[in-house]
Amino acid sequence: MKPIKKTVLALAAALGLAATPLAAQDYPDRPITMIIPLGAGGSHDLNARVITSVLPEYLGQPVVVQLMPGAGGQTGTAAAAEAEADGYTLLFTHNFIDQLQQHVANLPYDPNESFVSVARVNSAQPVLVVREDSLYQSWEELVEYGRENPGELRFGHSGNWGAFMVPGLALLNEVDVEATLIPYQGGGPVMQALLAGDVDFTFAFPSVLAGQDLRPLLVVGEDQIVEGVPTTTELGFDIVSDIGIMHRPVLAPAGVPEERLQVLRDAFAKLNENETFQSLMGRLGENTAHVDGAEYDKLRQRQSDEYADLVSSFSQ
Amino acid sequence: MFETLAEAALMIMRFDVLAMIAAGMCLGIFVGALPGFTTVMAMAVVLPISFFLEPILGIPFLIGVYKGGIFGGSIPAILVNIPGTGAAVATTLDGPAMTRNGQSRKALEIALVASAIGDFLSSFGTILVIGLIAAIALMIGPPEIAAILILSLLIIVVSSSGSFLKGMVMLFIGMSIAMVGQDPIGAMVRFDFGFHALQAGVNLLPLIIGLFAIPEILFAIERRQGSIVTAERTRPEGERLRWGEFRRSLRTILRSTALGGVIGMIPGVGQVVSAFMGYSAAKNASKTPERFGKGELEGVAAPEAANNAVNGPTMVPLLTLGIPGDNITAILLGAFVAQGLRPGPQLFQDQGVLVYAILLSMLVACVLLVIIGYLLTPVFSRVVTINKAYLVPLMLLFAVAGTYVYRSNPMDLYFMIAFGVFGYAARKMGFDVTPLVMGFILLPPLEYAVGQSVLLSRGDLFGYLIGSRPITVAVVILTPVLIFWIASRQGRRTRAAKRAVRDQRAKEEEAAGRTD
Repeated sequence: MKPIKKTVLALAAALGLAATPLAAQDYPDRPITMIIPLGAGGSHDLNARVITSVLPEYLGQPVVVQLMPGAGGQTGTAAAAEAEADGYTLLFTHNFIDQLQQHVANLPYDPNESFVSVARVNSAQPVLVVREDSLYQSWEELVEYGRENPGELRFGHSGNWGAFMVPGLALLNEVDVEATLIPYQGGGPVMQALLAGDVDFTFAFPSVLAGQDLRPLLVVGEDQIVEGVPTTTELGFDIVSDIGIMHRPVLAPAGVPEERLQVLRDAFAKLNENETFQSLMGRLGENTAHVDGAEYDKLRQRQSDEYADLVSSFSQ
Repeated sequence: MFETLAEAALMIMRFDVLAMIAAGMCLGIFVGALPGFTTVMAMAVVLPISFFLEPILGIPFLIGVYKGGIFGGSIPAILVNIPGTGAAVATTLDGPAMTRNGQSRKALEIALVASAIGDFLSSFGTILVIGLIAAIALMIGPPEIAAILILSLLIIVVSSSGSFLKGMVMLFIGMSIAMVGQDPIGAMVRFDFGFHALQAGVNLLPLIIGLFAIPEILFAIERRQGSIVTAERTRPEGERLRWGEFRRSLRTILRSTALGGVIGMIPGVGQVVSAFMGYSAAKNASKTPERFGKGELEGVAAPEAANNAVNGPTMVPLLTLGIPGDNITAILLGAFVAQGLRPGPQLFQDQGVLVYAILLSMLVACVLLVIIGYLLTPVFSRVVTINKAYLVPLMLLFAVAGTYVYRSNPMDLYFMIAFGVFGYAARKMGFDVTPLVMGFILLPPLEYAVGQSVLLSRGDLFGYLIGSRPITVAVVILTPVLIFWIASRQGRRTRAAKRAVRDQRAKEEEAAGRTD
């Protein structure tokens, strides 16, 4: 047996596949499944295609994407929670499914007990937009109109408790404006509704912002990604900056052996340095703001508390 | 514009561009033909390949997968009554019946020709009037979608085979099943009866595979013959499509194309709705409506042309606004963006030649589809000549695997079996399950659209519709008129046809009597 194993290892090394640390030679020795609790063609799917085309370089094994949409992300997340914690099943999700769902639905899992973070791959800051010919020239004007006419402003978002509803709701809470929330089935349809004049404002991610007849009014988050447009951090809405941006983390079922978790965390750290990865992500309009799993786990606990407050403020 | 078009045409007339479209298309046809694997999945998997190709190769490659996948989806629908997508459900009304009559090859060929013509004409029209379509697409909001969906549901019931009452019963069963899970507006869980597995609702794939494939398998077992094909034929895979038959179907194909082109402007549900509208319109216009559902050639041509005619208009919001209307265009958007092309108003100005080249590649893909499909249909049509002892277990395997592979949820298998038993019983009792499937597919978007319309109106629904939604008002007024017209016309035709058959028989008997 031994010579065969040696030959295989030598071959793997020659192919540049054995870049993993020596202690973890045995792991992974078969393909790794990455569950996405969302449908085909969305931003997670596209991101995952980039990740899985580069990540095998560092793990020595292919990474297979498995799409498991349904019930606002619960179906796929539940499947990952039930999977064996052997490091061969990962979950590629976002913070709203991960930490918000528990406050609005009965889940068969507890996100903070059932999962540990491998890495946060990247994040996306939503930008509040109105139509280019809109009456509202600035965020202040929008707020002023909203205060004087409660319920008049129509806020279109991409789905309940999703990436646009959460920052929108958090912002409306901050400035004490009452608006009519109208759900759409995703970012595409809501953008079409905005351009058609059916809704007054919505959000857009920077990757769809360019080349549109839109007027950005406010950037959610810390970084000023659109020139001349204020950020929520500048305006002092720190909670909005904190909970309103989309994080795309990779999680593993809790109980995964410590050394395997480390292999995975190292692989994602190296992935982030990869030039092909950087350029493909850049082309998709995504950043590569990698955060190590250990650090992201701390953030998750805080997100959970803040989402609990947000949800209770909405249901009152 | 014509200079740009000419330049674009030169750009795609390269051997490697054609080869990439053809490669993508073969891949698409085979993946599309496997139940459970959708065109979207195939495109998502090969998307990274396009990242590393130049735009004029990478995007036409994906378009090849797309067009091939849609045609591929009709293959199991026609041969073994397993529709892989909602858009292929209408094809099962006549496709499998043709197969049983020993005409599987003819059915595949008419599906191929109808798809290619529908797609070609709609893409061509789209290139010519892209600006107009973009303007109309923006006028279609939730109230219009709701009105059009209600109209389509009624048309489906009126033109389903069997009685109106039975159709309505099935429609309501389908709608009730669609309500299980989270409601679309408030995301509240309903009708889950306390089972967590039901919170995600019932998926389309186990429903259609169960309702269509399982009864087909059971019926195949009941019939005691060696193969699925019941009619005696000299050539095992059946005869080819004749020129005369094609000529006769052309009217149907063109009608369906026009319908599909218009309905294609409705985001999301365009394909399913237009396939059924095309079928209903063909049946309504036919001199022999009673032959529909029993293996009528035009019954395959109509839905196939209609659901492919949607493809042109679907691309419009993507190209003009950068908004993907469905999952397929979302993947194409990813491919565009990864190439540094940001679809939207400016793209036509900055990269006009390239955009027109990509649009033209859609036309080229239609032509290639006919060639590749023509070469592949003999292979596929032979499938049904496999001895039943092997084919039936294979069908069951594909039904089960297809259900499971879609989202790897074991619950879906129980659903599939349950729907299979239900579908078998329904067919035995003379209930057409098509309205059920339509109710199931169309209720969620309808509920969504109604909910959104109510929210948009901010409390004054009638004032809002009359004040700012003229298209909706027009559709709502038109609906009863159209339904009544179709129903009365159909009743008259069926009676006339029955009379004609009686007269014919009498004449034949008379003639037979004379020769004796």
